Amino acid sequence: MLELQEIIRTVMIIILSTVVLALFGIFFGLLYKGIDRKISAHMQGRIGPPIRQPFRDVGKLFTKENIIPENAVPWVFNLAPLIGLVGTISILLYLPIGGFRPLASVEGEIIFGDLILVLYLLMIPSLALVIGGFASGSPYATIGAQREMATMIAYEFPLAIIIITIAWKLGSIAAGGLGVENAFTLTAITANPVWNAVGPLGFIGLILLLLVLIIVTPAELSKIPFDAPEAETEIGGGLLVEYSGRNLAMFYLTDAVKTVVMASIIVALFFPYNLSPLLGLESIPAYILDFIFFLIKILIIIVFSVSLIRVSVARLKIDQIVYTYWVPLTLIALVGLICIMWDGTMMESYGWPKIVEIFGLI
Amino acid sequence: MIEIQDFLRTLGTNSGFWNPLVWGIIIVIALLIAYIIRGRGKKEYKKQTEQTKVFLSGNPELEKEEMHIKASNVYWGFMESFKWLYTGLEKMHTGNVSDYILWFVVVIGIFFIILGVI
Repeated sequence: MLELQEIIRTVMIIILSTVVLALFGIFFGLLYKGIDRKISAHMQGRIGPPIRQPFRDVGKLFTKENIIPENAVPWVFNLAPLIGLVGTISILLYLPIGGFRPLASVEGEIIFGDLILVLYLLMIPSLALVIGGFASGSPYATIGAQREMATMIAYEFPLAIIIITIAWKLGSIAAGGLGVENAFTLTAITANPVWNAVGPLGFIGLILLLLVLIIVTPAELSKIPFDAPEAETEIGGGLLVEYSGRNLAMFYLTDAVKTVVMASIIVALFFPYNLSPLLGLESIPAYILDFIFFLIKILIIIVFSVSLIRVSVARLKIDQIVYTYWVPLTLIALVGLICIMWDGTMMESYGWPKIVEIFGLI
Repeated sequence: MIEIQDFLRTLGTNSGFWNPLVWGIIIVIALLIAYIIRGRGKKEYKKQTEQTKVFLSGNPELEKEEMHIKASNVYWGFMESFKWLYTGLEKMHTGNVSDYILWFVVVIGIFFIILGVI
């Protein structure tokens, strides 16, 4: 009977976590969207909309007609936005949000998913967009969907290099790593910041990987300069051209939640630090402080990887997007990987100190 | 009785974890939430009117065959950005078996040299 009780308890935790995180993702996703729009407007010398504008946008879309084009495949056309939002919400469960352990790892011992799973789940919202685009029955949407597919193929390569490098560095013992067990799980990654495992050369490598991940983020979110699949001025919104009303609102919410997801992944991989241990706080004050600190970290990442880039750069053509990811960014990621690989050799053979020892942090 | 470990760790290697059952529960709940949110939106639209016609920036809608976008367009970005590579590869792609065997021998030779040096 005990086992059955445990199963029921675990299922209840998962159900509650899903509800809480869905609301968290949607609320903060829209809030950050508002902040991003405000900051972008100020950078362009405009006043910009109020921060609550995305909430109003969603409200407005819910009052608009939900048009299904006559060329569309109705059930796929309606289902795609739902799949996008559902897939994105499910990723939140596997990420350490607000300084807590991933909620889909009950008690921190039993793990339900790892970083590789997150990498696959990240494809769901993009695939939902592609499916919705193809189901629209519009040439603009078809072109947009094809571009989205090409963009996905392009950015997955450098993204995979980053994730594998970090997990390999943490998991290995020979290459100066920390010998962390289950290095692909986000619980292990956040508990053992990767900066603690590297020397000077590895530090450079990690900076390069962070730079690549920051440039992968706008493509994941279909933001300028990697928004060729939507390209309003060219193909009238691309894969979203035929969407309106509540279906468009679903994609709008998906985009908002995915922004939080991407920023949370960067926080988990590169900035998993909390303030509470530094200030010696425990229990509820520690949770509140860490949660606020997490929100600030997310905001800083969104400003750097979304707002700053989309304001300062123009849209790239699809061939330029492919080239950017497959040549310069893959090469930078590989250089980062090699730096981290040699870093271990330098530490082992020549006794190079770790970066935390140089700064006296350990 | 199902063992708790069987339920909680359905698939696991030494480094990877993936529990489809738990993901399934998450998906069902998230689908319910998304469906409730979607249900708050307006459902109606005017069927068989101008608004259900495909948006083509004011251009006339042609026959389906004429408006079809080829699936090979997916690769256009790759073909365009790696034109220099494909041009070289196309020249090598002669369709002559002797040429392919020659390439095979050359590549094997290079591998042997590399392995010999290392």
